[in-house]
Parts: sequence; structure tokens; C-alpha cells
Amino acid sequence: MLESCAPGSSVRLATHSRVVTYNDKVYRSLPKFDNIELGHVRKMIRHLGIDLECARKYLAL
Amino acid sequence: MDELREHPLMLTLRDAISGDGFLAGITLSGRALMRKEEDGKWWMYGVRPAGLAESGSTIEEAFAHFSGRYRETLFDIAQENSTFDDFRSEVERFFYEVDENPEDERLWESALTALRMGKAAPPEAFSNLPRKSPESNPSQITIERLDASGKRFMPSDNVRDTYSMPEVVAA
Repeated sequence: MLESCAPGSSVRLATHSRVVTYNDKVYRSLPKFDNIELGHVRKMIRHLGIDLECARKYLAL
Repeated sequence: MDELREHPLMLTLRDAISGDGFLAGITLSGRALMRKEEDGKWWMYGVRPAGLAESGSTIEEAFAHFSGRYRETLFDIAQENSTFDDFRSEVERFFYEVDENPEDERLWESALTALRMGKAAPPEAFSNLPRKSPESNPSQITIERLDASGKRFMPSDNVRDTYSMPEVVAA
């Protein structure tokens, strides 16, 4: 989803969370679990300003 | 009167975080929006700080998970910043960086307006929470160095993690 809907974004692993950077903003609290609940993704999309319609092509948001 | 779907909450969190050669005391007065999502869970979405979300099967559990994730974010920032000044700058950036899509903040404000105009009432789980005035408790974060020489610690420095509802009557 990030590759298509947030081109230029980056994801790195911190000790406790994934840190996603896009649009000059940083989302620091994405869980490191393999299965990330949609509420976390919804909040990340709002925080970073990712196109919701684009994201809905990949996730049941 | 309609029952409120989105619940505006006010948060107080206080932490002591160890960094690389410093100890920082962080006191947060924040805002969050809570609502029950389609997965049946209570979701707590940060308004200030905005970049944070967590869930739980009860509102108490959602708050516990939210404050835990906030604390882990502070741990990560401490890990990544080697001086107190850098740590403080990054915590302030994390706290004050708003959502690009400010839907949660807009819903927080409109839920408060609905409560104050008597158009909606919170369900029982929220109506029993303590009340605080948003006007008297603005969103803010303070970050102070605790290991500085001459710092005197007092029992009155201790602050319990709390969440509350805004007062219905404007201050």
C-alpha cells in the first residue's frame, strides 16, 4: 500500500515500533507485529496525509 | 437527545525517561478521541499528540494500551537521540505535529460542541468520568531535565495517569 499510495515514503524499525516517514511528517507508533490492526493504519493514513481512496484498493478500510 | 458516537477525552500522563546520560521528566496534557469501531473494539485516536492510536475491549483497556504505546514512543525517541536537547526537540515535534487530515481534531471539537449544546449525551461508561475544563487545561507538553544539579524532588511531583471528559459548561 505504501509503495503505491505514498511514493517516497520510508519505513524503518525502531526498538518498539515501526517509524513511517512521508510528506514531511513522521508516524512513530505503527506496531511491529506482522498483523497490524486497521485502526493503526487508518490513523497513520490521516496523520501522513495518504490518499484514502488509493489505500482502499489494498486494505478494507 | 442523541447518544454521542465520538467521545472527546482529555489526558494527563507523566513519565520519567532515561536517555544517554540524562533523565527526563515529561508531563503531557493531551487530547484523544475514542470511538467503537466495526471490529467491536474501542479505539483511541490521538489528537494531541496526533500520531498515536490504540485499542482495547473496554475504554480502560484502550487507555492503558494507548498510554503504553505513548511510553514506548518516548523510549524509541530516547534511544535515537544522544543529547537531552535533541531528545526534547524530537518529543516536542512528536507532540505538536498535527494530522495532515485533521478529521480526529474536527470530530473532537464537534463532539465537545454537541455536548455543550445539549444535543448529545455520552453513554454511561463516559458520563461517570471526571470532568476537566479544556480552556483551563490546554494541550501542552513539558520536558525537563531531572538529573540537573540542585533539582529537589517532592512527593507532590507525582501525577497519576488519567483521562477525563471535558466540562459541559465552558470555563
